[in-house]
Amino acid sequence: MLLVDIVLPGLVLGGMYALIALGLTLQYGVARIMNLSYGESLVAAAFGAFSLYSGFGLSPLAALLFAVPVAMALNWLLYRFLLERLMRRGKDRGAQEIDSILVTFGVLFVIQGAMLVAFGGQYYSYSYLSIPVVVLGSTLAVNRLVALLFAALVGGAVYLALTRTRIGTAVRAIAVDANAARLVGIDVAALSGLAFAFGGGLVAVGGVLVSMFLTFNAAMGVVFTMKALVVVIMGGVGNVMGALVAGLLLGIVETAVARLVDPGLTLAATYTLFLGVLLIKPTGLFGRAAS
Amino acid sequence: MYSANRRTLLRITGLVAFATALGAFASTADAQEKIRIGYAISKTGPYAGGAGITTLPNYELWVKDVNATGGIKLGDKKLPIEVVEYDDRSSSEEAVKAIERLANQDKVDFILSPWSTGLNLAVGPTLNRLGYPHLAVTSVTDKAPELAKRWSNATFWLGTSAQISEALADLLGKLKSDGKIGANVAMVSIADQFGIELSAAGREALKKHGFTLTYDKTYPMGAQDLQPLLKDAIASNPDAFIAFSYPPDTIALTEQAQLLKFNPKIFYVGVGTAFPLYKGKFAANSDGVMGIGGWNADSPQLKDYLARHKAATGKEPDRWASSITYASLQVLQQAIEKVGKVDRAAVAAEIRSGTFDTIIGKVKLKDGLLQEVWSVGQWQNGEFYALAPTSLPGARAPVVPKAQWQ
Amino acid sequence: MTAPVRTLLWCAGVALAAAIVAYPLYANGYYLALGISVLYFTILATAWAMFSGPTRYISLATVAFFGLGAYTAAVLGETMPWPVVLLAAAGVGALTAVITGLSTLRLSGIYFVIFSFGLAELIRQLVIWYEVNIHKSVGRYLFSAVTQDILYWQLLGLAALVFLVGWLLGRSRYGLALRAIGADETAASHSGIDATRVKLGVFVLSATFIAMTGAVMAPRWTYIDPAIAFNPTISFQVVIMALLGGAGSLFGPVLGVIPLVLLFEVLTATLPNHFSIVLGIVFVLIVMVLPNGVIGLFGAGRSRVPAERRAAASARTMDAPLLGVEGVSKSFSGLRAVDDVSFTVAPGEIIGIIGPNGSGKTTLLNTLSGALRPSSGTIRLGGTVLNGLRAHQIARLGLARTFQLVRVMPDMTVAENVAAARLFSTSGGSDATGSELLDLVGLGAMHEAPAGDLTYIDQKRLELARALALQPRLVLLDEWLAGLNPSELEAGIALIAKLRDRGLTIIMVEHVMDAIRALCGHCIVMNAGSVIARGAPDEVLTDPKVVAAYLGGEDA
Repeated sequence: MLLVDIVLPGLVLGGMYALIALGLTLQYGVARIMNLSYGESLVAAAFGAFSLYSGFGLSPLAALLFAVPVAMALNWLLYRFLLERLMRRGKDRGAQEIDSILVTFGVLFVIQGAMLVAFGGQYYSYSYLSIPVVVLGSTLAVNRLVALLFAALVGGAVYLALTRTRIGTAVRAIAVDANAARLVGIDVAALSGLAFAFGGGLVAVGGVLVSMFLTFNAAMGVVFTMKALVVVIMGGVGNVMGALVAGLLLGIVETAVARLVDPGLTLAATYTLFLGVLLIKPTGLFGRAAS
Repeated sequence: MYSANRRTLLRITGLVAFATALGAFASTADAQEKIRIGYAISKTGPYAGGAGITTLPNYELWVKDVNATGGIKLGDKKLPIEVVEYDDRSSSEEAVKAIERLANQDKVDFILSPWSTGLNLAVGPTLNRLGYPHLAVTSVTDKAPELAKRWSNATFWLGTSAQISEALADLLGKLKSDGKIGANVAMVSIADQFGIELSAAGREALKKHGFTLTYDKTYPMGAQDLQPLLKDAIASNPDAFIAFSYPPDTIALTEQAQLLKFNPKIFYVGVGTAFPLYKGKFAANSDGVMGIGGWNADSPQLKDYLARHKAATGKEPDRWASSITYASLQVLQQAIEKVGKVDRAAVAAEIRSGTFDTIIGKVKLKDGLLQEVWSVGQWQNGEFYALAPTSLPGARAPVVPKAQWQ
Repeated sequence: MTAPVRTLLWCAGVALAAAIVAYPLYANGYYLALGISVLYFTILATAWAMFSGPTRYISLATVAFFGLGAYTAAVLGETMPWPVVLLAAAGVGALTAVITGLSTLRLSGIYFVIFSFGLAELIRQLVIWYEVNIHKSVGRYLFSAVTQDILYWQLLGLAALVFLVGWLLGRSRYGLALRAIGADETAASHSGIDATRVKLGVFVLSATFIAMTGAVMAPRWTYIDPAIAFNPTISFQVVIMALLGGAGSLFGPVLGVIPLVLLFEVLTATLPNHFSIVLGIVFVLIVMVLPNGVIGLFGAGRSRVPAERRAAASARTMDAPLLGVEGVSKSFSGLRAVDDVSFTVAPGEIIGIIGPNGSGKTTLLNTLSGALRPSSGTIRLGGTVLNGLRAHQIARLGLARTFQLVRVMPDMTVAENVAAARLFSTSGGSDATGSELLDLVGLGAMHEAPAGDLTYIDQKRLELARALALQPRLVLLDEWLAGLNPSELEAGIALIAKLRDRGLTIIMVEHVMDAIRALCGHCIVMNAGSVIARGAPDEVLTDPKVVAAYLGGEDA
């Protein structure tokens, strides 16, 4: 069944894309931080999982229990002591965006430098849950399946939290118009910090899970940053469902092109799809129409 | 008028800052009590992964080894090595600039090469103009003979792409005529100069040996999932699977092959197969896997090198370019000692013409190229033994078919 | 400034220029390489800022054009004379910029940022695919005898050209137009600026320079492959350098390039292993301490518009109606926001449009001014059919407007806001300068104030002055009087009356009934998209249908 053999692996690959993009949806879409050090944080989490696994034999899934709170705390501190000041300083969203690009570019180097000192430049890889499982006749790796599962669960949970809870509604209000949110009594700084920290926690989830099946080194962060940005933008900024759908779509298209057309064109297909979506819907699949 | 003046002022301010900063790192030339050796290597950026395994540890190990014996012998006294080290950030422009800096500012006596074909070619003209010997170890290109002709100071050590592919095809051809494998080969390659040259040469050589390419595709750098590719390759039912891939993909292909229970008689992947990481990750499953490189692991010099490398850097070397990198440095040292002074032109000429004793045995370059290079290796009982070219002494017999994945 | 000081500065300038030109003659190989780095990034950052500075479109496509230039040089470099290669690279860059610009420049904000990045990646993937499948080899070799000296001078020449073009652009009307677009694209369009064309033109210009830089640099590296030519860090570095220096002015980017190139050098030299960490920390500190970029230290000079162009609100007397609206409707996916509206406006008349919130008044104004296309019906201005024309074209025909939520270009001065509206005006015979217009609306003393610092009422005044600067035949005021306090309201009404007395034709959407009574001879009442009454204000305001509409009853 070629169709199943395209759709299922495509979903699994797409699940990984969605997973690495979820954190950025919150950090960029809600907290308005265009975080260029995103990929480095992700790789740092992967290194964390690797160290715990190779040093203490701790499974990456258990490592999540450590990695996520630590990442949230670090990201909260980063927001509280660095980014919040910039948010207050920027006159408008454009100025805030430029400042956050610049400052996180610096943070990128700090994280990357720390990883280089600790781990050097070479590649790392380990095996966990690298077990085949046959689903509808298509062989998949359990670790990649776990990543898809997490993407769906975490994505769904975040989506529900944003749409069904009071805090979520307040957070969405900030995403739409921070000034207006302030006027109706929402503590923008505190909630943005919270959203940024949560985003950081999701980055850690992504990093820990992809470390189970991707080979990584300290210099690879930018690959993840860009993939996450493409997914987030394609889905519509700040829209969790959008990120999920865009990630899965990219996965299926890449797999389909690899099987049906030419594996050499997979990345070209990704970017064609991405650019095509933006040309037809300039604010992404699920983005609000620009006024 | 006001604005024009302000612009001038800005320029002056900028230039003053520029000049001050430059003055801050002028170096002092010292009397010849040390041999200053400089290099710029990719500590950051996409090349950091390769440089961090193959090149940098060997530079560090060599300096340590040489200094432990008192240094390089010039005339009748030994001069210790002093290192000047930069990060080229995986950028051609930075690499060129760093060479200029090592030569003009730090006035180093010798310069070691960067990692990767691209960076070695980028710094080639500059090293040539400045007259430094250029040991372009980690560059694999079919243009190597032509480049060696163009740049008399440069030497190439890993063979050409054609050499690697032809050695592989010869080995497979022999296995076929021995009746150990059939005629079907699936080949995938990365869409980079390395993959394209190797696959182009491989295509021709395999055809010459009567093989049929049942699958032959490239994939882009940075592809995150190679399973689709592999599934089509499996569907073509090959006797041998060949992948000219980069380390992360090499790992991913091996992992996916295990998941898909893909057990061809020959499983050849790499770059990266020769890395200790590969053995570390796949343990017993690495047995029987073939890849680029290999070494004569029974040689006492290499055994000793392996132990020293482990002690000095905390990890094992890769089994392809690491030992050759180290050997090239031994060649450099012996050439300097033979010439007896820091005469770069003479040293470069000596490297090309002399015969040297190294950890990989006797080395004698021909036309600036190391002619005999291990091209195909295979993991056998936890060691990556060299298989081909079979004409080289110490070539092991291949284990075919590869054992099933466990 | 006294004459001797000036002479001295001139001499210093000339000496400096000579020193820069003669640099390869006395610098050693390393300093020359450093100079090349500075120049190379200076050209890229300045060319980038030429487009991205004023428009604030942060482009990550720099490396797409750079890489195409480098590849052009690699393909043609050994067979064609060098000037031809450079021209070809410029041509390839410009052509790609036209094609991509046409499709991308309607995106805004972050969508543009990531799109431009995606574009660079797509071009890189296509180049790889072409090389693998057609050329059968990915890397290209370019052996050339270019020495560092020659490379330096080529870059210096290119840098001089970039600065010259940038300077001329800044002085031209396109420079101001570009900044107006960056400040508020909608307001700029309604001020007669063809945003798409201006943006595209400058985008192409910028891309051409970037592509030429790629071509000039390529021979230095001997070997070009997609990973080298399309290395995305180049795009990032350029953005960072330009933003750090200050992208809003011509010499800002170079002030970011020099310290950053030097910082990278010093750090790689002194701390090769901890360089990343220190660089990152230094970088964060710089950003925190210098909110306006390096150029902010010097009290960033914005380029002023040089010459005053004369313009005015002109009075015309004609018998035929100035504006004819016939059966205009506008629906949004089924909802008819404006339903079959017809009316005419005679020259010199003030028409009021009133109606409850959501009755379609602003939508009607938007269809008149070109912000929206009418679904059906015809709009004629002095005989010209406006249907299908775009906002800037309608503005140039003499239809000006203000916005319900006031839109000024906040970073530009009051005078520049007004000047932006007359950049492309075609009608001559004007009789009021910009400063006269500002005097007229009561902003005579605030020419140089940034528009964003004005009070609400003053911003409204400025918006009106900007509308008048188009020398309009018709002005649309969208709740221009809303939100004013009683004394401001009185002044506002008096101002509109003064405009009427000068013969200006006005359509005003308004909720302030006192103003409607005081100013309008005729008014139209809308409800649920349709006209439900028309006539003299006092008549229609007592019409039971109108009262019912305002009270919200369905039972009228």
